[in-house]
Amino acid sequence: MAVRAQFENSSDIGVFAKLTNSYCLTALASSSNFYSVFEAELQDVVPVIHTTIAGTRIVGRLTAGNRHGLLVPSTTTDQELQHLRNALPEEVAIRRIEERLSALGNVIACNDYVALVHPDIDRETEEIIADTLKVEVFRQTVASNVLVGSYCALSNQGGLVHPKTSRSEQDELSSLLQVPLVAGTVNRGSDVIGAGLVVNDWCAFTGIDTTATEISVIEATFKLQGQTQSAVINEMRDSLIDNYA
Amino acid sequence: MATALGGFKAIAPVPSASDFVDIALSSTQRKLPTVIHKNFKISRIRNFYMRKVKYCANTIDERIGKILTEFPILENLHPFLMHFLNILYDKEHWKIALGQLNKARHLVDQVAKDYLRLLKFADSLYRAKQLKRAALGRMATILKGQKNALEFLEQVRQHLNRLPAIDPNTRTLIICGFPNVGKSSFMNKVTRADVETAPYPFTTKALHVGHTDYKYLRWQIIDTPGILDHDIKDMNVIEMQSITALAHLRAACMYFMDLSEQCGYTIEAQCKLFQSIQPLFRDKPVIVVFNKVDIARYSDLTDENKAFVDEILAQPGIQSVSSSTITEEGVMSVRDAACDALLAHRVEQKMRGSRIDAVANKLHVAVPKQRDTKDRPAFIPPKALEKKKYDKTDPERIRLERDDEVAMSGLGIFTQDMKKNYILDDEEWKYDVMPEFMDGKNVADFFSADIAEQLSKLEEEEERLDGEGFYESGDDEELNSEEEEIADAAAQIVRSKAILKQKSQAKHISRAIIPRKAKNVTLKQFTTGMREIGLDPKHLERRAAVLSEKEKAAYDAYVKRQEAKEAAEGKAPAADGDVEMQDAEGPSGSASRGVSARGPKTNRQFAGMATDAQATKAALLRKFAVREPNRMARASESDRHIPITRPKWMMSGKRKQGTNDRR
Repeated sequence: MAVRAQFENSSDIGVFAKLTNSYCLTALASSSNFYSVFEAELQDVVPVIHTTIAGTRIVGRLTAGNRHGLLVPSTTTDQELQHLRNALPEEVAIRRIEERLSALGNVIACNDYVALVHPDIDRETEEIIADTLKVEVFRQTVASNVLVGSYCALSNQGGLVHPKTSRSEQDELSSLLQVPLVAGTVNRGSDVIGAGLVVNDWCAFTGIDTTATEISVIEATFKLQGQTQSAVINEMRDSLIDNYA
Repeated sequence: MATALGGFKAIAPVPSASDFVDIALSSTQRKLPTVIHKNFKISRIRNFYMRKVKYCANTIDERIGKILTEFPILENLHPFLMHFLNILYDKEHWKIALGQLNKARHLVDQVAKDYLRLLKFADSLYRAKQLKRAALGRMATILKGQKNALEFLEQVRQHLNRLPAIDPNTRTLIICGFPNVGKSSFMNKVTRADVETAPYPFTTKALHVGHTDYKYLRWQIIDTPGILDHDIKDMNVIEMQSITALAHLRAACMYFMDLSEQCGYTIEAQCKLFQSIQPLFRDKPVIVVFNKVDIARYSDLTDENKAFVDEILAQPGIQSVSSSTITEEGVMSVRDAACDALLAHRVEQKMRGSRIDAVANKLHVAVPKQRDTKDRPAFIPPKALEKKKYDKTDPERIRLERDDEVAMSGLGIFTQDMKKNYILDDEEWKYDVMPEFMDGKNVADFFSADIAEQLSKLEEEEERLDGEGFYESGDDEELNSEEEEIADAAAQIVRSKAILKQKSQAKHISRAIIPRKAKNVTLKQFTTGMREIGLDPKHLERRAAVLSEKEKAAYDAYVKRQEAKEAAEGKAPAADGDVEMQDAEGPSGSASRGVSARGPKTNRQFAGMATDAQATKAALLRKFAVREPNRMARASESDRHIPITRPKWMMSGKRKQGTNDRR
């Protein structure tokens, strides 16, 4: 089930939050509204954690993670690291990475089994990703964008990619990731999927500008309302054609 | 240009003719200087009035130009909007009004041009002013001639603002049919438009727009006024609006029929109307809606009536749906049928177009090819499936942080408790205070329990590597002679730079500087300086010796005189050598002339005057010098006070005769 949210009047919630199957990070805001949107859906299921990374609120773009672990950039302070360690469950590993491309959320897109990474990422970082997150790592681009984390959103059940990803590219990525993929948009036509959408295996949060059509595509893609991806080509096909074309 | 009718709201109010004149004249008055004098240079006077005429003409030109650009050109609009506006306001009338305004603008410009030419030859303030008056007067007359056009445009503007925002390009359903068949009631059921409904014909007199959601999409529904079955030439404005909507919008048409004949028209008439407006339905999905089925159904009809209805339904591409807005039976199925038909129609059209190729990738689900046998299941914690959906209205809902914040709202004391949900071995540890630094070391660096062990291991490895010569980088470390030279030069540069910097800083002193001429320079310093630059100071030294001799002699004489005086008065000289002021005369003091001891010794007015003639002339000049300041009641030359030139009590308020308005 997908929920619309906004962070202090910004609909790019993927910048300010990180959602995985075992935890959720949200940025510190001046009010609790944003935090409580996640709390309402996730309380008692997974921990929802207020945090800053390197003193900034763009936690979603600076971190990368999945059920097994969390990667934070080298700019993270010792206190933040301590706070995260205290708040995260024991089985989630945390690693601070010395990586030139420090916006890890932008350069890594992953689910619990596979990760796509920026082609220029360090060899050591690649190994750390594989070890900490327990994933297979592939250097890839999405619709010829190197920032794979910005332009796609993945879960173990499906993935939404940049709207200009060609069919053949979708098929290729899908075979790597071993999940069905759909090309689409969020936030009324925004192509930065990673910024507008955070998703795990049972729920999704999208920016407040996301249209009903986009929500329905998201729900079908990530199998959130008991639908499967085939809905995109069956029931919703006409609506989508009329909407896009 | 906005395509929706709602987009016309940007038009600014159109002033009436007399307002227009006021606006133009008062802005000319307010924005330009108003003070002129007949003794000014004639070129200045001419410029003053020419500027007024020019400015007034420009103001009018701009205002009219704004109106002309804001009103849309009908030919550039969507055909539906063009015909719709044509019906409501009459295209010719619209064009004429705008055309007349345009012409008025040119006339005003022409008047300004003529009078500017005349003003160039004005030879007095009076003539220039009369010419200006004439010019402004003629412009005002031209504007007054536009009374009707301006009035019409203002009415149109007000009406346009109230028109519904119809988007001609979106998914649209049009409801049409005879009056009183239940079109507006249906509209109220499926949208939130809240259209007025009443049991008499032509309750709806204009187009109304509502929106509904179906299949993740937004649908625009247009409720039209009823149409009667007569020739298009005889139709009135109300009916023509419906016809325009049907003719020019690419939409699904819902033709409403009242099988109970309660609307006052027979089924035959209703079928006839359908036949006569059928040309408007071409290339559009059409749904015939049998409304009011709570009273009469299709099955209840007589054979004769059935035949009429069947004749319609027999045509290809026409489906029928039954509904009742009272019992709400079939209302949604009517909407769904219409939406589905329109969607299918639009999709079919779009599939034929070229844009479909661009979006083909979005209509594709990439299914993975199996690359290994590894199973990658989804990970959904059972708690997530059990979790109750959060409901804001549920009294037993879980308590969120937001609720805490709201509970404390206004107190300004709420801060998020970030440690609340810590997962630690002991609950009591949650709020423990941790030092960040201890003994000058970062505590976080020692987070691991076996840190010492690890460190010693690292050091061991380091030593080993060092021993093996891992870090030695060969003899390229030593500097060769060339490099040494460079390093030497660099050091010199650094040193000389530091010296320059010091010198420059020494120049900036913050104490007061004594000017060279005021400095006390001893004779010796001066002469040494002269000798250094190669000049002979002999004559200076001689002169200085003579002068000092003289001074010394004068002083000695003075001292002697003093002593003699004191001896005469029987007073001993002051022990400290001070002399009393009142007796001071100085070595070259003149003899006392005054009567009293405290009065002035000399008349300073005449000090420095050689002759009486000079003194008289000086007195005269002095008299002239003070005349102007005295006249202006100045305290002195430096008195810059400006008195009130136009005291309010004199210049404002009521007069016995006339007004005080001197505009």
